[in-house]
Amino acid sequence: MTLRRIATVTDLHQYLQVALQLEHATIPPYLTALYSMHPSTNADANRVIRVVAVEEMLHLTLAANLLNAVGGEPDLTVDGFVPVYPCHLPDGEDDFEVGTRAFSPEAIDSFLKIERPAEGENQRFVARKRSHRALLPRVDAHEDDLHFFSIGEFYAEIGDGLHRLYEQHGEALFCGDTARQVGPEYYYSGGGAIVKVTDADSAAAAMRVISEQGEGLGGGIFDEEGELAHYYRFQQLLLGRYYQPGDDAGNPTGPTLDVDWDAVYPIVADADFHHYTEPGELRDAVLAYSASYGDFLARLTEAFRGHPELLLPAVADMFRIKELASQIMRNPMPGRDGMNAAPIFRGLASVGLSSVKVA
Amino acid sequence: MADDALLARRTDADVQAVFLSLSATLTGYSRFRLLGTGQVEPYLVTTRSAVGDDVFGELLSAFAAVERESADDPAACDRALRALVLSDEKLGPIARNLIKMWFVGTWYELPQEWRDRFAAGEQLATHVVSPASYTEGLLWPTIGANPPGAKGQGFGSWVGPPNIETS
Amino acid sequence: MSVEIDHATAVSTLYDVLVVGSGVSGAIVARSLAERGLHVLVVEAGPGEELSLADYDTYLTRFYGAVAKDNNSAYEVNPNAPMPRSPDVRRLQAGHPDSTGYLIQNGPYEMDSTYTRVLGGTTMHWEGKAMRMLPEDFEMRSRFGQGRDWPIGYDDLEPHYRQAERELGVSADVADQTFYGITFPPGYEFPMHGLPPSYLDTIIARDLDGTVIQLEDTACTVSVRPTAQARNGMPNPAYDGGKGYVPVGAVSTHQVDQGDRCQGNINCVPLCPVQAKYNARKTLSIGLRTGRIDILTQTIASRVHVGEDGQISHIDYQAYGSTSSPDHVTGSLRATKYVLAANPVENARLLLASGLPGSSGLVGRNLMDHAYLLTWATLPEIAGTMRGSQCTSGIEDFRSGGFRSRHAAMRVSIHNDGWSWPTGSPYTDLLELVDDGNVYGETLRRRVVDRISRQLMLSFMIELTPEPSNRITVDGRYTDALGNLRPVLSYSLPEYTMDAVSASRRVSRRLFQRLGAEDQTKYDPLDPGFVAHQGEGYVIRGGNHWSGTHIMGSSSRDSVVDDHQRSWDHENLYLVGSGSMPSIGTSNTTLTLAALSFRTADHIASELTTRPSLTVGA
Repeated sequence: MTLRRIATVTDLHQYLQVALQLEHATIPPYLTALYSMHPSTNADANRVIRVVAVEEMLHLTLAANLLNAVGGEPDLTVDGFVPVYPCHLPDGEDDFEVGTRAFSPEAIDSFLKIERPAEGENQRFVARKRSHRALLPRVDAHEDDLHFFSIGEFYAEIGDGLHRLYEQHGEALFCGDTARQVGPEYYYSGGGAIVKVTDADSAAAAMRVISEQGEGLGGGIFDEEGELAHYYRFQQLLLGRYYQPGDDAGNPTGPTLDVDWDAVYPIVADADFHHYTEPGELRDAVLAYSASYGDFLARLTEAFRGHPELLLPAVADMFRIKELASQIMRNPMPGRDGMNAAPIFRGLASVGLSSVKVA
Repeated sequence: MADDALLARRTDADVQAVFLSLSATLTGYSRFRLLGTGQVEPYLVTTRSAVGDDVFGELLSAFAAVERESADDPAACDRALRALVLSDEKLGPIARNLIKMWFVGTWYELPQEWRDRFAAGEQLATHVVSPASYTEGLLWPTIGANPPGAKGQGFGSWVGPPNIETS
Repeated sequence: MSVEIDHATAVSTLYDVLVVGSGVSGAIVARSLAERGLHVLVVEAGPGEELSLADYDTYLTRFYGAVAKDNNSAYEVNPNAPMPRSPDVRRLQAGHPDSTGYLIQNGPYEMDSTYTRVLGGTTMHWEGKAMRMLPEDFEMRSRFGQGRDWPIGYDDLEPHYRQAERELGVSADVADQTFYGITFPPGYEFPMHGLPPSYLDTIIARDLDGTVIQLEDTACTVSVRPTAQARNGMPNPAYDGGKGYVPVGAVSTHQVDQGDRCQGNINCVPLCPVQAKYNARKTLSIGLRTGRIDILTQTIASRVHVGEDGQISHIDYQAYGSTSSPDHVTGSLRATKYVLAANPVENARLLLASGLPGSSGLVGRNLMDHAYLLTWATLPEIAGTMRGSQCTSGIEDFRSGGFRSRHAAMRVSIHNDGWSWPTGSPYTDLLELVDDGNVYGETLRRRVVDRISRQLMLSFMIELTPEPSNRITVDGRYTDALGNLRPVLSYSLPEYTMDAVSASRRVSRRLFQRLGAEDQTKYDPLDPGFVAHQGEGYVIRGGNHWSGTHIMGSSSRDSVVDDHQRSWDHENLYLVGSGSMPSIGTSNTTLTLAALSFRTADHIASELTTRPSLTVGA
């Protein structure tokens, strides 16, 4: 897929569908790190990552609300919706990869890069050779090496595009069925609020939550609601200390935070189907896991297409598949001494037995 | 003693394999499922320290004999297990303790009668092996529930019938 | 959030209000007054270093690792501020008080009720049922010739019930909760929609709804109804005239995703792992934002002093540094108004230990609690027991009617946690199946399902009337690690209640017959709480709904506090909580005592803010 700068409503639909994909793409890496920790250990790290993962779910839902508001059709089941890990996030740079890996300083480092703040005003696009594993599409067919610098910059383009289209179309831009909007009754948690998108103001509000929760406001470490940006939350794990209001970036002065990098299952990195060729319970479980994850994405798609009440069972799905993920991670990887298995987040489409690629 | 020799001859991996196999037979849960709790090692260590190496070796040897004699015939295995382990005055109470530990994460102090006859040293009192042993108890998934205070199944999950795993 | 101040600062400060106890009533009074500009000190006898999630996690881990998972098992054993624990209760021999536990059991009836002495009080382990009392409950004497009337009625308390429902975050639907005289203002909605009933509830409702049961001259038609609960569910957008409601999540010093909706952890008692259930730390943490609440934990109010003018002059405290050592320092705290919110037992204990039995002599007397009769059976089908919150539905139809002139009213809860309360299920079931059933492997798994997933337990919560002989006293022979007098309990169950116990057993038999459920109820004469009545034996359990020990009335001659919970004897002293309640009907007491706390806060604020010297909001 190729995106150009947003000129039409169709362009906007494409961008928002990519936004869904992008928001989702961070979830399997975060969940894998989260589930890899031993139970009853690393309480602080557990919470920090879990809150971010839950907020990525919020962002995903907000992206769906935005797409629905402008008459689009969210789809989390299209082929390739879930990236094959490792992949490059978000801008196609080669300097780091994101994968589904055990909790470790390196994993947190890659999370920091996902959530990194924009560095300046004119850095929306960078010219650099594009990796074929980049998740974000090209910006324009004629500017093949031009990429978004960060997720935030990608959203800035959506924000600008929304603004331009609103100038052209007025409120008619928001032609979507309002019954598809997910409201706060279905989604609430410690941080951030769901916004029903029905007009330019609510669209702007939704955009603010998505872009600021990740990266902080105007270079600050806290956003408008006083929440710490994701980047700095992860950074706390490396620095061993919580931020508190008044702190400067890089120098948290809050309570200490204990991280036990060793209380982690030694899981195989970037698990894929070719790791599980041996028939047996483990393979069955990994396939079942991937299928359940696909069911979960299908349930979300249905929820975003007019059945928001399905978000409740979707949360129960998540709890259930977490259990299966934990079981997989405590099982040894056959033939890989000292290494444990790890789940694959692929979905239904790839799990038909015929499509399991044996390396 | 032959059983000492057995323990000594075996590697840790062998011991764990027999322990896992015994646990799977006693609980009705698969090896994958037992490994999936993360409790194989702590339960092995708990049992071994509770009854001592000699008796632990006897238990594993007896189970190995059960497996040999029954040769994958479930009915024969059932008979042999009852004959060689469950009705054995020394090994039976330990096997029953293992089941309980797998189901609720608690090591129960062995019965007075057992202690009087077979105890070598200090007895392990009734205790929860670890907080994780409690939350990983197999009783809860057996009834399609979660351990109270952990692993809630999600808002409204209680509206429908329970999801009971069958093996 | 730094909430603690040092004792030296507190000692040198004249507070507007000193609140003893950080449970729900103390927290509500403190928050309400601080939000109106008053400076409040809260002292808590138990630990609770900070209002953080780490603190809370310690409780959870302790619970996971506890062999006996009783309702105080999440909380540290603390000899400096001990608390009653149900496993301490033993069968009494006549004339021999039992001092095994913190609470001295003087009999004749053994009581296994508890409370929790930690920051947040007993709301840390309460179950979360948030029910209003029936209007007729306030008029027991005039309508049924039993117990006492309140000096105020349902209508006086109704606006405060709404405040309490907001503060506690109650999930319920008005249509489900409108029964037996309970009224709501037109258009009222609860903050959140009712929690969904469990699968077990729907099985029970299917077969029981419409059953008619005769209690004396009252025909009761059974209807299984969802229970109002103080735990987070789906916010109702129509709440507060369409403003909606934002649920209060977990108390934490940094952002967490917890505390949102009930996840069905089936562990409301002793501890909700995600803080979906209300606890008083939520109220405290919001109150702290005013900057006008100071909290001192591990600080025991040890003696209340009265000046020559009859007013409270100061309260002595003992502050200890560690729960494992009795080392402590002492001092005195001063305020314009004093609020004892330490729960009915501790409020009475503190007053009696201070030599203040009240001019009426009623401090500590009229102790009430609900008497619980537990009945249990096996259902003919798999009901998925052991899932959800502990109770999602109940039967309200034995709570109201003319029969109350003959015997006490009862309320039935359907327990999603099966027989765990009466039998210790599922642990006891497992042990029996393994040790006596001689099953293992897949057979064991099937038998476990068969045994546990079909469990039904109905608890009958039976009202008590205030009897002066049911009381808390103190006795110089019994002291705790810091030398404070321990509470001594003398308790018996009145005929009025026991007749309802017999009636409850009859009702449960009818209900089990209607359900085709195999009655498994057994009462062991050796169990604490065993009582015989009319030729049949029962085990009666406590409900942790302590009340009545500083009973409210319209005259200083026959009550301890007035309708604002102000002491008749000491104008600047308020005794708040369920200790003030003249009747408890068949509602769990928390919502009503929370409503009373709001009413009292209004009164204290009006007393203090009309003084010319005080600038509100300064």
